Amino acid sequence: MVSRKYVTVIGLEVHVQLKTNSKLFCPCSSDYIGAKPNSNVCPVCLGLPGTLPVLNKKAVELALKMSCAIGGNIQKESRFHRKNYFYPDLPKAYQISQYDRPISFGGKIPIRTADGKKFIGITRLHLEEDAGKLVHATSDGRLHGFSSSYVDYNRAGVPLIEIVSEPQISTPEEAKEYVLALRKLVRYLGVSDGDMESGSMRVDANISMNEEGQPLGVKVEVKNMNSLRALQRALEYEQKRQMEILSSGGVIIQETRHWDDVRGITVSSRSKEEAHDYRYFPDPDLPLLVVSEDLIEKMAKSIPELPWEKKERYLFEFSMSEEEAEILTSQRELAQYFEEVLASGAPVKPLVNWMKTEVIRSNKEGKFDFNNPEINPQALAKLVKFLDEGKISNTAAKDVWLVMLDNKVGLEEAMEKAGVTLGGLSAEKLESIVSKVLDQNQDVVKEILEGKDTKGKKIKFLMGLVMRETRGQAKPQNVEEMLRSKLHG
Amino acid sequence: MSVRELSAREIAGLVKRGELKATEVVRAVFDEIKNNEKKLNALITIMEERALKRAELIDEKVAKGQWKEKALLGVPVVLKDNICVEGYPTTCGSKMLKKWISPYNAGIVDYLEEAGTILIGKSNMDEFAMGSSTEHSAFGPTSNPWDLERVPGGSSGGSAASVAAGYVPLAFGSDTGGSIRQPAAFCGVHGMKPTYGLVSRYGLVAFSSSLDQIGPFTRTVEDMALALDVIAKHDYRDSTCWTGNRPSYSEAILNANIKGMRVGVVRDFMEEGLDDELAQAVEKGLGILVENGAIPVDLNLGDIKECALPCYYIIAPAEASSNLARYDGVRYGLREDADNLLDQYIKTRGKGFGDEVKRRIMIGTFVLSSGYYDAYYLRGLKARKYVCEKFKEAFSNVDVIVMPSTPTPPFKKGELVGDPIQMYLSDIFTLPVNLAGLPGISVWMGLNSTGLPMAMQIIAPKWHEVRILKAAAKIEETIGACPLAPGGE
Repeated sequence: MVSRKYVTVIGLEVHVQLKTNSKLFCPCSSDYIGAKPNSNVCPVCLGLPGTLPVLNKKAVELALKMSCAIGGNIQKESRFHRKNYFYPDLPKAYQISQYDRPISFGGKIPIRTADGKKFIGITRLHLEEDAGKLVHATSDGRLHGFSSSYVDYNRAGVPLIEIVSEPQISTPEEAKEYVLALRKLVRYLGVSDGDMESGSMRVDANISMNEEGQPLGVKVEVKNMNSLRALQRALEYEQKRQMEILSSGGVIIQETRHWDDVRGITVSSRSKEEAHDYRYFPDPDLPLLVVSEDLIEKMAKSIPELPWEKKERYLFEFSMSEEEAEILTSQRELAQYFEEVLASGAPVKPLVNWMKTEVIRSNKEGKFDFNNPEINPQALAKLVKFLDEGKISNTAAKDVWLVMLDNKVGLEEAMEKAGVTLGGLSAEKLESIVSKVLDQNQDVVKEILEGKDTKGKKIKFLMGLVMRETRGQAKPQNVEEMLRSKLHG
Repeated sequence: MSVRELSAREIAGLVKRGELKATEVVRAVFDEIKNNEKKLNALITIMEERALKRAELIDEKVAKGQWKEKALLGVPVVLKDNICVEGYPTTCGSKMLKKWISPYNAGIVDYLEEAGTILIGKSNMDEFAMGSSTEHSAFGPTSNPWDLERVPGGSSGGSAASVAAGYVPLAFGSDTGGSIRQPAAFCGVHGMKPTYGLVSRYGLVAFSSSLDQIGPFTRTVEDMALALDVIAKHDYRDSTCWTGNRPSYSEAILNANIKGMRVGVVRDFMEEGLDDELAQAVEKGLGILVENGAIPVDLNLGDIKECALPCYYIIAPAEASSNLARYDGVRYGLREDADNLLDQYIKTRGKGFGDEVKRRIMIGTFVLSSGYYDAYYLRGLKARKYVCEKFKEAFSNVDVIVMPSTPTPPFKKGELVGDPIQMYLSDIFTLPVNLAGLPGISVWMGLNSTGLPMAMQIIAPKWHEVRILKAAAKIEETIGACPLAPGGE
């Protein structure tokens, strides 16, 4: 049997919670994380009889900002629809969303792939409100089988944008890269926290497979992936599952499947309550959303250099490697710090090295915050310059960096504390260290003098000890010369 | 002269001058209610304690020389029971909300209180404002104060009866397809549906959001203008509320002059399906306007009479099916416990809603469902556009249009309750006005040969309530203000 080649087609729907102070249609706080259940609610977001929605301007601005960034075609007139379905977390029994007239159509986002850069097209971007949260005795999300469930409406009405991609993603890896790019973007723009674990960014996937050259296959919707890893694993699982069915002559059923992270599988959710007819119709409580040319322009102007633009520039302007540019643009604040240090006179190459190693490491260890850098750019610029000019050794520079972080002191004080001097050690200092090492290792000295160091290993051992004591500030040939003259002199 | 015979303007004047105490007004009102409520059943909730407290406060203020600027100082007011008052039930005439206490005030409640009124009670209505007779109330039918065997019309039958019987000089209802004008006509009082968007809908429990509008019932045109002055305000809490400036309606009708006013009359409407005496009443009304200098113009409104009813019974139920979906027993109102969620919904809604409401929810769900949306809802929208265009054409030639308010005089209780289509037809002349969002008044035209009230409808282009009030003032000069109904004695 000829083995057939299958192509994977993935499209993603990403919900992004907007960073507004208040909800999409009422003045309640949208900061629900950690809040007491049902404390951020009012008659409007509880959907009490007689209440009406009033659109949050800030949410519209953030949606426009995002549309501008992805090059979407902003609609000067868009409209809100009601998506009707019964569920206890939905106070009005309909969600206010956008349907046939979203705020933006089109656009694209560049991602990294094994074969280089690739653009993923965006179908549409629309505004909608979030639902509340059900709290069950267990966490698998099903209502059946529990005697009671609780509802927390703090999240009800929190503004979301939904970004729907074209089905142009070809692998689970690309799906992950796409979400990473999107996350980076929303954070750069200040539009959202973009945090999948806490739910401020949620991803649903549509995945289908077909034989190469054949029409698209039947798509399956996969939900409930709460991390990038879960997304990739779920799609890999689904890819394998579909391929097995197809290559054994089976048929894929169009359905929604839930990712079970514990078991590492997707599970069909063919329950009655999934079979919805949402009966969309224009919400009569909200007029057309009209955005002015001025507002669009204002939002376009508010957009910072985008992560992929910045990366291109770093590659070109600083001759960074792909990996270096990726790391330095991974967060807007990190890139900003880099540029400030650069502007303070640090030479590029050694600075890039310093950033991608020491700064990243300190950040991971929780010692260095990009948002609020503990070390001012001028200090790091000087340090890197000293390093570059050979005035201090790499080890010494690291010591100084850590002393600055740990003791919150300036460059000069840190150098003093670390015992680091510019231009390395004085001859007297080196001599005293050498003497000390020889004193402490008289057995080795004896062996050398007895001519037992035929391979020169023992003298290297002593050199190592001296170098360590000098914090790398001495030149090896100087150390060796001094050792030999002391030993034999 | 007893309090019940006084107009709102007269009461406010006496109270301000200290010639009548607000507490005396309130006592007289509750005496009246106690004497008549058994036979009328106009009110669902009586707010005696609140009213007395409020009256005491007013008397206190007046004694100190304060609050003299308040236009409706000391005026007792009844609200239809779909308008929310903080701390009191808003039942909407339904079992579903029998025990629901609103935690907030409707927009107009704030405005009325600011203007010095005293809330007396919440009036009976067809369940969720669906009906034309107030027989579809979970609290029993209201009687027509002119003939206790007959219906007061609906859905705002309790408010109309309260004014006709002399409980209060001013009451408010809501009009979605005629629910103010039709009961006004049946009870022999004036009732106005303002332009859609003139009055805030915030706190009015929604039936059909694109059609609903709050309006007043009064016994004089002067009171009507006064009431509009108070309630016609822009309210940011209702996104469909007009932001334009409202004129002073009271000033506009002083020495009203209608010379040269072009008055359209739709001859088609005066032929079949209309009671002879009511047709004569319209002719009489037109004659009065012409005597006062108006110019009569014969009009053709195309097929709007034929298409308004089917169009309305698509759009209104569609919106209602969505608006009423929130009554699911999860958060407030009636809950029928069950073993699972679906059964809880079915039992709660099965028990909480009456037949007419269920009928409309089913129609609305049907016309919005995916296979039928284009055939029904979309065609409904097209028909609505046609109605709007026909009116627009007509108003390019005339200033106001006169037509009947209802096709028949008040019918007997039980007469139409089993025949929904005949019941729907009693709104045939009022429905088109809602579809086009126009203002319309039903104005008292005296009694017919059997002693039942007659009325005429006057409509105008959007935001031209002043024209309507001027014409109505001229009618009232000849016909006289609305007399108190005998059933209220």
